[in-house]
Amino acid sequence: MSRRDLSAATSLCGLLLLSSVAGIAPARAQSAYQPAPPGPGEADAPGKAGNKFAGPSPFAPQAPGVNAANIPDGPPAEPGEVTPAVEQIGSHPAHGDWPAYGRDTDATRYSPLEQITPANVGQLTRAFVYHTGSKPAPGQVNKWAAETTPIKVGDGLYMCSAMNDIMKLDPATGKEIWRHDAGVKYASIPYTAACKGVVYYTSSTVPEGEPCHNRILEGTLDMRLIEVDADTGKLCEGFGYHGQVNLMKGMGESVPGFVSMTAPPPIVNGAIVVNHEVLDGQRRWAPSGVIRGYDAETGKFLWAWDVNRPDAHGEPAEGQHYSRGTPNSWATMTGDDALGLVYVPTGNSAADYYSAMRSPEENKVSSAIVALDVKTGSPRWVFQTVHKDVWDYDIGSQPTMIDFPGQDGPVPALVVPTKRGQTFVLDRRDGKPLLPVEERPAPTDTDVEGDPRSPTQPWSVGMPRLGLPDLKESDMWGMSPIDQLFCRLKFRRAKYEGEFTAPSVGKPWIEYPGYNGGSDWGSMAYDPRTGVLIANWNVTPMYDQLVTRKKADELGLMPLDDPNFKPGGGGAEGNGAMADTPYGIVVSPFWNQYTHMMCNKPPYGMITAIDMHTRKVLWQHPLGSARANGPWGIPTYLPLTIGTPNNGGPVVTAGGVVFVAATTDNMLHAFDAKTGKELWNDVLPGGGQATPMTYEHKGRQYVAIMAGGHHFMMTPVSDALVVYALPENK
Amino acid sequence: MTGLYRPRRAAEWATCAVAVLLVLLGLPLLIMGAELALLGGSFYYVLAGAAIIAGGVLMLMGSVSGALLYLLAWLLTWPWALWEVGFDGWGLLPRLLGPTLIAVLVVLTIPVLRRAQKTSLVRKGIA
Repeated sequence: MSRRDLSAATSLCGLLLLSSVAGIAPARAQSAYQPAPPGPGEADAPGKAGNKFAGPSPFAPQAPGVNAANIPDGPPAEPGEVTPAVEQIGSHPAHGDWPAYGRDTDATRYSPLEQITPANVGQLTRAFVYHTGSKPAPGQVNKWAAETTPIKVGDGLYMCSAMNDIMKLDPATGKEIWRHDAGVKYASIPYTAACKGVVYYTSSTVPEGEPCHNRILEGTLDMRLIEVDADTGKLCEGFGYHGQVNLMKGMGESVPGFVSMTAPPPIVNGAIVVNHEVLDGQRRWAPSGVIRGYDAETGKFLWAWDVNRPDAHGEPAEGQHYSRGTPNSWATMTGDDALGLVYVPTGNSAADYYSAMRSPEENKVSSAIVALDVKTGSPRWVFQTVHKDVWDYDIGSQPTMIDFPGQDGPVPALVVPTKRGQTFVLDRRDGKPLLPVEERPAPTDTDVEGDPRSPTQPWSVGMPRLGLPDLKESDMWGMSPIDQLFCRLKFRRAKYEGEFTAPSVGKPWIEYPGYNGGSDWGSMAYDPRTGVLIANWNVTPMYDQLVTRKKADELGLMPLDDPNFKPGGGGAEGNGAMADTPYGIVVSPFWNQYTHMMCNKPPYGMITAIDMHTRKVLWQHPLGSARANGPWGIPTYLPLTIGTPNNGGPVVTAGGVVFVAATTDNMLHAFDAKTGKELWNDVLPGGGQATPMTYEHKGRQYVAIMAGGHHFMMTPVSDALVVYALPENK
Repeated sequence: MTGLYRPRRAAEWATCAVAVLLVLLGLPLLIMGAELALLGGSFYYVLAGAAIIAGGVLMLMGSVSGALLYLLAWLLTWPWALWEVGFDGWGLLPRLLGPTLIAVLVVLTIPVLRRAQKTSLVRKGIA
């Protein structure tokens, strides 16, 4: 034991002694250290009088508004049996349809349409622009980033607005056929008002021609499942409580905006698999990251997978709740009907940057792919991409299912993109890597006491790395020697030992790759005919520092369930109180905070095509132009391809065109899938931080992109869905 | 060459402004550059900062050698920049663009400084 440890221990003893002598508990700091989840009555309920706020008890009753639609819950449910399902359209999409978020249940983002080709893509014009009506009202902090990819089935284009209203549009004109108002309130926005997409479901019990034979399902920001009739938009009475399910049941104490759904839940063999985002950086004992199954037909609870209650698959008993602070999964999951599995991309336990308070069970399944049996909710296998993650390297991408060319024929494989830019290729049957994965030594030097790092981390050495070499001082950038020097100094002042540099309290550390990726939620596109994988990715380091509780209090960092919390004061991607732990976290992009230019030299975003037969890079180049970016956020209008940060995935078509928006130049780009040459682009009315999609209607191919913008990417917010097609008289 | 020279005409005022600009730009280079060098980073900035400040001060004193000192520092910046980043355009941009624009201004001050130096010498000769 070092002298420092000893003195800390003695002072702790002294404190305890003092308080016991005085017969009073030591005055609790705003977000006092809580080594275990508070039991009933151990912590202050919100609003309870007292000079210091120690966090609400998870056992406290949920405040009004947490169960957003006031849906009566009934008694805790036992694990249930699913209603037998019929085959869903996502597993055999019609030629011109895009029936699921990732186009099909394999999540390939590949369309067999070939009307638009490299030869004619330059003639694309706007067919229509549809306005969802969802954007910040005057006076509201902009938390918008719609991130929506519509789906198209038959005669309907179905989508959700950033605030979860569901719409059916005419695929040719964008005329609104119906709209379901979800009634989500501003307070329910977690970090971002996003709705990545809706799910198309065909009933096994309601005959064709009757209402709710075909349904549209969505998960909402305020934690509801909603099913409406695909033809009319009316709630399906037979599902849940008059068409809705309350997902806050069993979650324990929470406040609006703490947990929310932003990704479309897959339906696997009749089970809706539900994950949710838990707002990062708030407190160690945040609400649970439990994964649950619900019957797609009836909305009935089927099972739960709760990391710290591994053998309990039912709902928690009355007055109990799912285990607090467990790893949450906010990415879009992929369902595998044939194997009866759902692949859950997990994130970190709550309090992302401090791992000393995590259970061994949590350490096994965080920042991993967990394959859950959709009948029981039990994990069949786990593959971890980061050990003891303290870098917010949660998996944001939806994994893609492919037939991997093996020695004895195709192997059912899962391609797992990560924020690290490591792409893992796994056997879907057992989670074993199909391409070599090496455990390589990782930096372990840290001044965070009692929180040792993993000595090794996994590297997917059989796949091209989506990343650039480690940073050097001479990579620092700017407009002039002075601001460049400022960044060189920032670089030298920080701790940096390459990837996995361990967190530090004494000085900032550089996190590179940053938590925006590599690959983030945009995911990848895969052309199964050619075996070509398309990926766009980021080169955006972060500048992080752990701060003591005292400093965190001085900085005013507090969790959103604190009565003094002000919206906009913290969030998933910024500074966080990490209440209940000894530290808060200060996070910013590794940039010049005065000019808002990144400290590293360009590119900040790239796009890569990989041949999965040979695992060789076919082409790779910077993605995005400098036109809308510049110092102090002033657009330069330079038509130079610099490579910008990007959020949103690619689409690849049989016509040989790759469509991707994502970049901060607010453009939709089209590339030649063979050569990577940029063929066409168009400036959007807002940031194109969403994955585009393409469909055919009455013989005409359309390309749609939600130009909703992204508040963190600082791109303009809009409510416009922009849809392109070739001129009609061609 | 004792004390600051007193600008009279517009060209002299402009020269003075360039000299002050050099001192102002040199100071952050010197200060931050010194810390960078102490932290084990590049020595270029502290040296460049010192040279630029010295150049600016000499120019303020009406000496053409101040301008020449800046231009020497600017010339030496080129091989340093190429050594650090090669022919990478984005990499060369912060290292060369600004200093080159200022080099143009400094070149323009040379005739003015020459004249000032001459008159000052003439004055000294008379005295």
